[in-house]
Amino acid sequence: MEGPSSRLSEARDGAVQPAGGRDASGEVESDSSRDVKTHFRVCRFIMETGVKLGMRSVPVATACVLYHRFFERVNISSYEPYLVAMSCVYLAGKVEEQHIRTRDIINVSHRYFNSGSAPLECDKEFWDLRDSVVQCELLILRQLNFHVSFEHPHKYLLHYLLSVKSLVNRHAWSRTPVAETSWALLRDCYHGAMCIRHAPQHIAIATLYLALNSYGVELPVGEKEWWQVLCEDVTRADIDAVISDLLQLYDMEAKCI
Amino acid sequence: MDRDLLRQCVTYHGESLFNKLKCEQTENPDFQALVSDLCKASYESTLVEQFIARKADILFCPSWKTTAVKEEEHDEEEAAEPYAVMPPLELFMEVSYDERRAMLYRDLERGDIVVGRINNIREYGFFLTLLSTAGGLKRDIEDLDLSALCHIREIPSTGSHDDPLSYYQIGDFIRAGVKDIDRYQEKITVSLHQASVSRSLEHIKLGVIAREELPVHYSRSLSAASDSTETYEPILRRCHGYHNPSVVDYLLERVGISDTHPPSLMRGLQSKLFQEDDFASAIRKKQSTSWALKCVRAGVDHFKHGRHVEAMNEYNKALEIDTNNVEALVARGALYANKGSIMKAISDFELALESSPDHRNAKKYLCQTLVERGKQLEEQEKLVTAEGLYRRALSLDDTNPEAQDALHKITDTIQGAFSEKQKLHFVIFFSIKND
Repeated sequence: MEGPSSRLSEARDGAVQPAGGRDASGEVESDSSRDVKTHFRVCRFIMETGVKLGMRSVPVATACVLYHRFFERVNISSYEPYLVAMSCVYLAGKVEEQHIRTRDIINVSHRYFNSGSAPLECDKEFWDLRDSVVQCELLILRQLNFHVSFEHPHKYLLHYLLSVKSLVNRHAWSRTPVAETSWALLRDCYHGAMCIRHAPQHIAIATLYLALNSYGVELPVGEKEWWQVLCEDVTRADIDAVISDLLQLYDMEAKCI
Repeated sequence: MDRDLLRQCVTYHGESLFNKLKCEQTENPDFQALVSDLCKASYESTLVEQFIARKADILFCPSWKTTAVKEEEHDEEEAAEPYAVMPPLELFMEVSYDERRAMLYRDLERGDIVVGRINNIREYGFFLTLLSTAGGLKRDIEDLDLSALCHIREIPSTGSHDDPLSYYQIGDFIRAGVKDIDRYQEKITVSLHQASVSRSLEHIKLGVIAREELPVHYSRSLSAASDSTETYEPILRRCHGYHNPSVVDYLLERVGISDTHPPSLMRGLQSKLFQEDDFASAIRKKQSTSWALKCVRAGVDHFKHGRHVEAMNEYNKALEIDTNNVEALVARGALYANKGSIMKAISDFELALESSPDHRNAKKYLCQTLVERGKQLEEQEKLVTAEGLYRRALSLDDTNPEAQDALHKITDTIQGAFSEKQKLHFVIFFSIKND
């Protein structure tokens, strides 16, 4: 798929590299690791765009999940990933009842790739871009068999936070930004495909676990662990796996961006 | 060697312990068998430590707490709960009796609210068996054998009764404020005075309550305790509040996290890196102004070639794209004035001047239009109003000769219209009016 969207990605280095290219450290990369980096960058684009559009966390999460699921079975070289991302944002807004206008998506994206530029005029280029976004939306829907509604960890995490909060002394809790940290960790998960590889409850528990761990918060001990109680089928190994995937994403930021 | 226990220890202490263990336990075949497993454990804890170390500047930044937490609202009484109110977690965790007692004495504070059942009435007050917390804390306390005293002084008088205690019976459910906690002697005293309760819980009424008014988390915990298959997740899913479509937004506000400037631990997504100009609303505004100006230019071109209808269409289009666009308003106003629709012209110019009070053309055209309007009013004998318009016109553009001329003429006319005697009256009237 080519077209007007290519003008968007022209200015962006490394968005689509030629086959067998070399990365920043000069080593030859395999296709798949290069793809992973591209997906990371594109998800970063989605998250930044989401903030600039005033999108809530759940629609942004849906946009990233749509993106990851789309490229699960599709070759990245056949589709312009940034265009797919823009359409995912548009589609996610509809699914999660926070409608975003294509005009705003195009404006923010254009400025993302052409920093400090003037807004687009109401001309053919603009309308072609808009058409591309809308057509791509249909492609995404078909690729996903119209299955575009997902269960996210966010609702779970918030309820878990409230439950865990009651266990702890209120002053200790208000001093410790566990809620912010776990929410930040959860949002950051969407940079990688890990967000679709783990169950939403597991992701919620793991982010809360890591947040508590980071501040050394000690919870009371009972016959059962707090995380075992919140979700019966989660194991220590599951939590460790999620945390491990998430920490890898932070490492990747240093390499990609 | 107990693999799990050793694993837990190594995970807790990390690599330094692991290295020491390796040194000290080289002869131990049991340990050697576990080395690879433990290696993984210490590696994991190293990873987490490294994460904390790398992100410490964000994690421990004082401004990381974005918003102040909203004080707990007693919304559990509402019929439609906005989120799922769950039984206290320690119930499911089966935390020990001693631990829960200790936690309660550590965390209960003056001003909290508790619910209990009267078990004894004496002449100096009544005793409550505490069933549940009901504000300030959310804990599972029924089986902790906690007793609280409500002294007779702490019961508000009920007016007609001589003895306030006669109003109460054994078995009544009472909601009371915590007045004092003696942690060493493990004594709790409560009060029924509304003033004993902390400010955020002021609206909760103390005194006798019905069984239905017992806290939601308490009644839910009772049903959970009686049925061991009722674990956290099924209860969560069954709660009506869980399925509230805006539950995420509601709870975010409760917990105090902003979703418009969301927190992140990624370096590139820190809020301070975002610039206002890159946001959708800012770009849209600039773009609308630009698109509107394009229409205005087209309209002015039409106007110059005498195509007034097309010109008006372009101006209206511009104002649809960018409401109150100054150039479009001024251009349209000029077109209205040209056509003779004086009032519409004035309205457009005034609107333009509201957002751009120093717009040269707006001021110039409004001045001219006001003079014309003034002349219309003069013909209708509305001299004083006309004079006001001329003054206004002159204040906008004091170089306009027509305005100056018109103002002089009308002042003379007004003065000349009266006789000597009436002139005196009028002058007085006029000077009072001008004060």
